[in-house]
Amino acid sequence: MKLKNKLVTAVLGALLCVTVAGCGGGGEQAASNDSAEHVVETTDVATQGAKKDWKIAVVVKDSSNGWFARMEQGVKQYAADTGINAYQKGPVSTDAAQQVQVIQDVINQDINALCVVPVDPAAVDPVLQEARNKGIVVITHEGSTCKNSDYDLEAFNNAGYGAFIMDKLQESMGGQGTYTTMVAHLTNASQNEWANGAVAEQEAKYPGLHLLDNPKRVESENNSEKAYQVAKEVLKSHPEVTGFVGTSSMDTPGIARAINELGLKGKVFVVGTGMPNECRSLIQDGSLSYITLWDPAEAGYAMCVMARMILEGKTIENGTNLGLKSYENLVVSKDNPHLFMGAGWIAINKDNVDKYNF
Amino acid sequence: MGAIQRVFNKDKNLSRLIVVFLAVFAVCAFMKGSLFLSVSNFQSIGKQFPEFGLLAIAMAFTLYTAGIDLSVVAVANLSAVLVAKILPAVITPETSPEMVLVILFLAFIGALLFGTLCGAINGFLIGWVGITPILATLGTQALFTGCAIVLTNGSTLGGLPKEVANGMGANVLGLPVPFIIFAVFALLSVFVMEKSTLGYKLRMLGTSVKASTFSGFNNVRLFLANYMISGFLSAVAGLVMLGRFNSAKADYGASYVMEVILIAVLGGVDPYGGKGNMKGVIIAIFIVQMISSWLNMYEGISNFYRQIIWGVLLILVLIYNYVVSEREKKKASK
Repeated sequence: MKLKNKLVTAVLGALLCVTVAGCGGGGEQAASNDSAEHVVETTDVATQGAKKDWKIAVVVKDSSNGWFARMEQGVKQYAADTGINAYQKGPVSTDAAQQVQVIQDVINQDINALCVVPVDPAAVDPVLQEARNKGIVVITHEGSTCKNSDYDLEAFNNAGYGAFIMDKLQESMGGQGTYTTMVAHLTNASQNEWANGAVAEQEAKYPGLHLLDNPKRVESENNSEKAYQVAKEVLKSHPEVTGFVGTSSMDTPGIARAINELGLKGKVFVVGTGMPNECRSLIQDGSLSYITLWDPAEAGYAMCVMARMILEGKTIENGTNLGLKSYENLVVSKDNPHLFMGAGWIAINKDNVDKYNF
Repeated sequence: MGAIQRVFNKDKNLSRLIVVFLAVFAVCAFMKGSLFLSVSNFQSIGKQFPEFGLLAIAMAFTLYTAGIDLSVVAVANLSAVLVAKILPAVITPETSPEMVLVILFLAFIGALLFGTLCGAINGFLIGWVGITPILATLGTQALFTGCAIVLTNGSTLGGLPKEVANGMGANVLGLPVPFIIFAVFALLSVFVMEKSTLGYKLRMLGTSVKASTFSGFNNVRLFLANYMISGFLSAVAGLVMLGRFNSAKADYGASYVMEVILIAVLGGVDPYGGKGNMKGVIIAIFIVQMISSWLNMYEGISNFYRQIIWGVLLILVLIYNYVVSEREKKKASK
């Protein structure tokens, strides 16, 4: 009996130590909210509001992912800027089932608004409905197909993002030359819209550039190795090509590697979606001119601003200003009145790549 | 006091788990008060654990015979994908509500049979062909997941009749439907494992394959039964997920595999086979879910702490079991 007692105590003791350590960590994090790193530029509009005692939870796809760690910085800054209790939670792996579990717990914490970046929009729909039945305001990001959300906020419209990539490519190529486009799959809706947007921008604004006749668009199958091989083939069979539009985050580093290996640095240029950490060395050695993306910290911050506006009875409409540079003029989607888009693209090159750690 | 001690000594493992359960409950209630003790929190908890709880019981059955079933999540998803594939094709807007219920019933029975068949494949590979359980089920896991990916093209299957999600999201007498499903199959499992002849034979098989053979048991048949139970319970879990997410996909709950092994071991099932009981596993499921919900109540605590706590618990349990078995060996040799 004595031994048993000791062991039970030991197990419980260990459990408590760990959880108390956990609470301690939590306390520190809460305290550091006051001095949250300033990662997002905002105007007064972002922090205005009638009440402060809102509780806003942000649930992301995966809390072990650098992209969402960056988003959390934005959410923490929002909490520090406004004094509102806004915080981020997420499962430890990208698993729709685990995310539903987290949401199920979070909606029981007397929260007023829930912002979700769904792993799988269909899978979270039932639990989002439960949240709305409790009177919680629900906002999604990258989840425009969710039926049970008040609004979906996207960083940009697809054509606009494509045009932005083209602007940067034109600048890198010096306004002259032939280019082609790469997507993960020809069936991928958003990436093809980006590529179409880029081509449309070139046709409208940059007569010095030409789209390669054949192939106009190549596939990387969302695989950086494949992107590298395809880019090499294109460069060998069409030496006139001096520019690439990459859309998937796998395309861009793959193409840059091909440029580097064939010794075409400074002669052939690529601009496209990419992750700073993955592309850092390629950007620094000059094989990759610009990577384009949206800043998850801004998206996290913007969702919280939007949630508070809805809680305080303001309407979200065409032209609504969320007080962030990328979200100062929201545009409503033509097909979906609940889908709002910002202009949240950013370009990263040699000069600012070290500011982004994800 | 004597009576309490007698009860405690009757099943030390279970008593220990109940003490841990009560302690965790007390800590949660003390630190979070009304938020933790609310009806809606318990209803949430009742919706959350059934899907992985059923998988943990499935896993426990196979650990019981010194095996393992890594394909539980794959079987769950493949069964759910089949249902999600068939239902929208069979049910049209013109189908009468009664007919929809009949079709749903048949589809669910079909899914359960299919899950059992998947389990039979595992049992055949392990019992008849003689492949090590961990390798056999690693293989079938890839096979079943692969089939689900091919059937869905890797995307999510939705468009289910609204009865599926509404039914799984409902409460009956205040009890969430997933909880009721879990309770039924958990009780059945306790009965099979602890009261039935099959459970007794499985324990023999888990203790020693040779002894089981020489006792005149048909080991192939026992392995088949064991993995068919596991496949059946996995399919039940798959249907719960189908309703909870109103959709099916090849990789829902992929991270549950490791978690359910942990729960089964935490519940006192000896991975070397032959020892452990279902009641312990069920209490372990409650403990795990309670800690996880409690941690999610803290805004600043990352879910990584959950992993740390699981890890610490698992290692402590393994050390404890080792110490106890060494002690028993010494006693026996005296």
